Amino acid sequence: MNVMSNAMTAIKKFSLAAFSLLMVLFCASEADAQCRTFTKKRCLPQLEDYVQNDNYNTAVLIPGDEAELELTFFGDRAYRLLVCGHPVLGDLTFQVLDSRGNGIYDSTDKDDNHFDFRVANTQQMTVRVQVPASDAVIEHEGCVSIMVGSKG
Amino acid sequence: MRRAFDRKTPQRLAPVWMALPLLFLFGCGEGPQADEGGAEDAPQVEMDAEGMMPARRQKAFKKIFHAVPSPIETALLLERSGIRFDANALNPIDKAMGYSTTASQAVNLGIYAGDLSYSVIFNQNQQSVDYLNTCRRLCDGLGVGDLIDGDLIERANSNRDVRDSLVQIVTETFYDLNARFRENGMEEVSGLMAAGGWIEGVYLGTRNLASSTEDLKLRIAEQKMTLDNLIGLIDSYPPTGALTRMKRLLSRLESVYANVKITYNEAAATAAEDGTVVISGGPDVQFDDAALEEIANAVAKIRNLYTQ
Repeated sequence: MNVMSNAMTAIKKFSLAAFSLLMVLFCASEADAQCRTFTKKRCLPQLEDYVQNDNYNTAVLIPGDEAELELTFFGDRAYRLLVCGHPVLGDLTFQVLDSRGNGIYDSTDKDDNHFDFRVANTQQMTVRVQVPASDAVIEHEGCVSIMVGSKG
Repeated sequence: MRRAFDRKTPQRLAPVWMALPLLFLFGCGEGPQADEGGAEDAPQVEMDAEGMMPARRQKAFKKIFHAVPSPIETALLLERSGIRFDANALNPIDKAMGYSTTASQAVNLGIYAGDLSYSVIFNQNQQSVDYLNTCRRLCDGLGVGDLIDGDLIERANSNRDVRDSLVQIVTETFYDLNARFRENGMEEVSGLMAAGGWIEGVYLGTRNLASSTEDLKLRIAEQKMTLDNLIGLIDSYPPTGALTRMKRLLSRLESVYANVKITYNEAAATAAEDGTVVISGGPDVQFDDAALEEIANAVAKIRNLYTQ
């Protein structure tokens, strides 16, 4: 009888553990789905007449996080680089670096969340994004999307 | 005493079990109106519903993305480089029925996305709708058929003469596909699709090298940098048999690309007369026709391995 009861308890415990794992996966997937909605509603319109790149460069970040995007920009083409984050994360900053790691652009102290530029010849560049640290008692996480649009 | 405890345990757990369905419904801090309302002008409770919630981790980290040009961008690049449309170079749509494994469907979804984009950019209207339908068939096989539904096909059909509308439909659809693959933990499919799209773009760009413009040749040579991004993208996903095979093939192509020499100089941003920021300097790309011919053959070999 004892053995049966112990077995039942073990099964329940295992089920609860499995359920917890499922909840974590479920929540992660839900967060991704929320980010997609956020990006489409809040960020995509800011690309205006630039044709969006179809890569999904979106993640759920917290204060103090960094994100980096490596991409090739083709010559004689105009680009808009847009760094779009949920307002709860504060003012995100970003830098554009050339293939040797030298700074090309820094958004610090600028009001814009995007950088418009034309590439004279093809460049392999890195975009580095920082979420400002926070001293809030309860930190929040939010979606951050790095979007790239291009036009003639 | 112990027995009494044991007998009570299931009963004590009962409220937990009863609460499970509720936890599933409301457990992630979001309600059914996740798609509605604005974060800035909504009260705190509703802000949770749009891309924000209390943090589930404390330690900061660095997220690295690798991106490759979309098939539409590549097709635009080819068009601007003076390439002529060649319908015979496309992968025939009737082959789609034969792609039965997840890997072959994923790579060929990318290949057909390349053909679709090429058709859209060159105003091949009926062909564009046909290729969108073919992508739909493969999406059905991959379990994401709802993203290319009848309404979308109808929308494409009614806008078939408006290139900008078709471009928007294609980019939005493939953005949604990439997002869905991420949400569903299908990184393998996402990586294979990106690889297929890139391979098809280079394949289409190298079909008539003898009559290509110098600009097109340069664009093909510059794909060495994009190939580097693509391999980085594939490396960023958990390895699977199909991804490892793709990476092996791309690495072979990378060795063929060794004959394209790139010198990485410092880039600089300057303001043009109209205020536009122009980035110049940077990589200097050197190649010859023989190197491009080798690349064309190597890409065709990989592409044909997947489309056969």
